[in-house]
Amino acid sequence: MILKTVVGLIYAFLLLPMVVVVLAAFNAGNYFTFPPQGFSLKWFANFFQRREFMQALRLSTELAVWTALASTVIGTAAAIPLVRGRFRGRDLLNAFVTSPLLLPQILTGVALLQFYTLFKMQASYAALLIGHIVVTTPYVIRTVTATLTHFDLALEEAAQSLGAHPVRAFFEVTLGVIKPGVVAGAIFAFAISFDNFTLSLFLTSSKLTPLPIELFAYLKYSFDPTAAAVSAFAIGVALVLVLGIARFMGLEEFTGF
Amino acid sequence: MRGARVLLLGPYVLLLAVFFVAPLLLMLAISFSRQSYGQLEWAFTPQHYVHFFTDAYYLGVLGDTLWLGVLTTAVSLLLGYPLAYHLALTRSRAKPLLIVCILSPLLVGIVIRCYGWMILLADRGLINETLVQHGWLAKPLPLMYNKFGVTVALVHVFLPFMVLSLTGVLKRIEPQLIEASQTLGASPRRAFFEVTLPLSLPGILAGSLLVFSLAISSFVVPILVGGFKVHVLPMVVYEQVLSVFDWPFGAANAFVLLVISVALIAVYIKVTERALRGIV
Repeated sequence: MILKTVVGLIYAFLLLPMVVVVLAAFNAGNYFTFPPQGFSLKWFANFFQRREFMQALRLSTELAVWTALASTVIGTAAAIPLVRGRFRGRDLLNAFVTSPLLLPQILTGVALLQFYTLFKMQASYAALLIGHIVVTTPYVIRTVTATLTHFDLALEEAAQSLGAHPVRAFFEVTLGVIKPGVVAGAIFAFAISFDNFTLSLFLTSSKLTPLPIELFAYLKYSFDPTAAAVSAFAIGVALVLVLGIARFMGLEEFTGF
Repeated sequence: MRGARVLLLGPYVLLLAVFFVAPLLLMLAISFSRQSYGQLEWAFTPQHYVHFFTDAYYLGVLGDTLWLGVLTTAVSLLLGYPLAYHLALTRSRAKPLLIVCILSPLLVGIVIRCYGWMILLADRGLINETLVQHGWLAKPLPLMYNKFGVTVALVHVFLPFMVLSLTGVLKRIEPQLIEASQTLGASPRRAFFEVTLPLSLPGILAGSLLVFSLAISSFVVPILVGGFKVHVLPMVVYEQVLSVFDWPFGAANAFVLLVISVALIAVYIKVTERALRGIV
């Protein structure tokens, strides 16, 4: 009983900032107090009318789509030898390909900024996209690896003994079975890219600002609830994505418990 | 065919070599070089590292960074353990919903989560404004722009990682072991402290290492919730690189952070390899 109360309070702590942001977005007042000062959509109206926010939203969405596509292909390909291969140094290689996930992103960001600047590539769309692909691919590798480990190799062998070419066996049998992991990985990559702040901060310019950077810039100078409307919108997107992962892979499988 | 399969790793390994390893090596080289009048001069001098480790200000920043990391890790463990314990044992049908509650903060951008805490903790924020308006408080409490606010927000940001690490381990503990100890006369309390807790140590270690290494490298939280008043190492890196434009010194700062992180990650990989293969 005590455990349940404590656990309930901790869940409340986890959700509190998000709930507050969403409430503030629909609140009429400039400052959010309790009780709220009435319902209003004016902050959303302001969000959708401001050109810089709309441009940022478009850039973020586009960037996240390309990132998800690229990292899903690259990551799924990489996951296969990592699960099935029996070669020396596999564990080391495994650690290597997941290292962008473990290394603080500020370090990847600084290193890429200096690298791009020296090679005159800084603040370009391609530079930003490559950076995003580097950091999201490990997530795809993880989710695909998780489903691939359960895959019964006998299925693929059966297809091959029935005359299918190994490549065809892969596309028609294996890919069908591991699809949940691939799709969940793609959704996760989209989410990570869409919300990425740390890496983007080092790779953007005034002409190339994804939504989180635009929001950060806005928050530095003003505190009005338009920022809350932007945030509430992004929280809505995150929620849809979580439901997507739940639908395709199952959350227990996705988290490993 | 077997050999060909390894080729599938090619694209990502190549991408990592060019856009991850090479930039990090370049950063290492820059940290040993010189800069005069904004112009980078290749050299091999340890002067920036000497500067960092002899200046009281930077040593203080390093100390504060590590201290905030310890604090964040300790509080995350304290809050994360009951959560993970409950999640690992529950047979409730609401379990997927509980996982959503733990995962969704991870998918909501860090700027937004900081903003949520700003709305709550600011001088004219929800907590202070409500208390002052109702006359329960004469003037606002200092909840933000200090270590307190930063720690609260850091715990919130990294708690999910702790819960994920702990739940994986707790779920693998055989319930029979706990039942057996209770059949043999141990109280539930004793069974917890003598069976469950020791068996979950690898998860505690892995989660703590992960949270600590993430917490010491966070700079969005100190900037937004700390309002540039709580100085931490990643913020110094950010300022040196993007405002002061002192690249060699910024790179040296980054490398100090990198060495600490990599050491922690190496231990983390060793721990997780043994204890929880395949878990986040």
